[in-house]
Amino acid sequence: MPTYMENKRRGFLAALFLLVFCSAAFCAENTGAPWLTVDFPGDSPLGVISYSLGNSTASVRGISLALALHTSLTLRNTGAKRIRGLTLLVQAQDLTPSGKASVTVPALDVAPGEIFPVRLDLELLRPFNAVRTGGALVEVTLDCVLFDDLTAYGPDRVHSKRNLMVYELEARRDRNYFRGLVESGQFAKLQHEMNFGLPDMHLPQLGFEVLNDIRLNIRQSHPVAVACVPFSDSPLKMLKGAVRVYKNEMQKPEVSLRNLSQKTTQSIEVGWILRDERGRNYVAGSLPMEIAIGPVQQMKVQQPGILRFSHPSGTPMLVNGVTAFVSNVEFADGDLWIPSRGDISNADVDPSIKSAIGNSPEQQRLVEIYRRKGMAALISELKKSQN
Amino acid sequence: MTEPRESIHPASEELALLVGGDMPYVRRWQIQNHVNHCAECEQEFERYQASHAELRRLADAEMLTGFEAIGDWDRLQREMTGNIHVGLAAARAIGKSGHHRLRKFRFAALAAGLVVLFTAGWLLNVPAEDSNRIVNALRSAWSGPQVAAGIILRTTPHGVSVRSQGAILTVLHPSSTNVTASFSGNSSVAMRYVDDETGQVTIANVYGE
Repeated sequence: MPTYMENKRRGFLAALFLLVFCSAAFCAENTGAPWLTVDFPGDSPLGVISYSLGNSTASVRGISLALALHTSLTLRNTGAKRIRGLTLLVQAQDLTPSGKASVTVPALDVAPGEIFPVRLDLELLRPFNAVRTGGALVEVTLDCVLFDDLTAYGPDRVHSKRNLMVYELEARRDRNYFRGLVESGQFAKLQHEMNFGLPDMHLPQLGFEVLNDIRLNIRQSHPVAVACVPFSDSPLKMLKGAVRVYKNEMQKPEVSLRNLSQKTTQSIEVGWILRDERGRNYVAGSLPMEIAIGPVQQMKVQQPGILRFSHPSGTPMLVNGVTAFVSNVEFADGDLWIPSRGDISNADVDPSIKSAIGNSPEQQRLVEIYRRKGMAALISELKKSQN
Repeated sequence: MTEPRESIHPASEELALLVGGDMPYVRRWQIQNHVNHCAECEQEFERYQASHAELRRLADAEMLTGFEAIGDWDRLQREMTGNIHVGLAAARAIGKSGHHRLRKFRFAALAAGLVVLFTAGWLLNVPAEDSNRIVNALRSAWSGPQVAAGIILRTTPHGVSVRSQGAILTVLHPSSTNVTASFSGNSSVAMRYVDDETGQVTIANVYGE
């Protein structure tokens, strides 16, 4: 005859089973909805030929449902212009409206009618108790397409047009530079430039965390002066900069800038180089700012929030020094300025930093061609496009 | 399973009290009922009755005149009754206390075991992100609505991720590629790599606004 404790244990197990069953049922309910949809506007210059979720999986991780979505979109250029780059916007209903993601493919050269692939690998971790609002869990839409005449199509929700423009200008700059080396027979120099971009010569990697939580600002931090890298042709002069540093955190970076040009700026991007406790330099990123600075006008700009740095292993990277440079400038008339190869090579910084500053997506692509297929393939690629 | 109440014999003290009529009504009725149906207890009850009667008789015959205290039979009866009450109450108190302590110990041991089991299961099965999310949610609830729930953008060994409203979206990169990560202001983290399959440079961004 069962004892009172045995009855209690059985009741507990029954409750546990019920809980697991409800979770599984909820999970099954969730997986019944589409995981991913790809939805481009009807007048889009890009058409979706196909996509599949062949290797995608759903699994339980702790108290969350983990969706691993692996897909390759096959797209066709249905417009009349060559496509130079595109950005796809990725939105998950669980993160809307505050969080989103994008996948940008710059340095393209897709002729009208041509088909090309874009790979998407995503993971969505959502709690079981998250409220469904209907529709797909992840939605992929077109944010921007940049054409070879530097016009663009798309809603541009994440300012991807500006980024694609910068990538394209950098790509043209670098292709022209490397093509010039080929045409002048400077193959040794071209080889040297390519070797500098090989993986074993890459700068050490960084891990990031961006926090906007105001509670963390109360921590002790100390002010650090920011060194400036001047570019001779830059339309903006960086007068001084400051940042507060707390161990591996950079807080409230600010710079004072003077507009040396005759045009009003619309937005600027300041690049940041960090030095760690061992004296190694990292090109960490940039601070884009939408700010109008009139001709000869001076202005101090500041970014809120906290940036936290770590080594790839996850150990904190103590910030020991900060250097800044003007990465690019967009003027009110739509013109964009980027540093020239001459500006970068003449800059008074470590050669590895120069290489990192000048390492555009296009240069990365060309280095990969050189690494995989050799110099002949690289020269052939450089001769292929005239822009 | 517990036995029927009728089959439990009353203690000798209770039978003695029943003889003297010093017992609450309900208990007296129960024991009397038991005694009526139990030969063993009936015999003992009768022995107590006989002793009680003999004591009364001796007292009446003043056989105990050498003892001052016994000379006052009513006083002796009150003292005896009081002592028996005190003894019974003490025995009940000790029994209750011991049983209660044992139950408390069992409950504490069971709770500790469950806590250990739960903690081990949690540490082994629940990812750190989930734990942090729960801790942050509890902190947010504790510190009140004036603190905004943070959106966290970060690089991970597998890609870049945005965490918001309890969910995490990660854009993954192929594991074999050389990945360069960078931040863009306080609202975006990016990674750049060359896709091995397509040969395309790919830049994945996560945003938090």
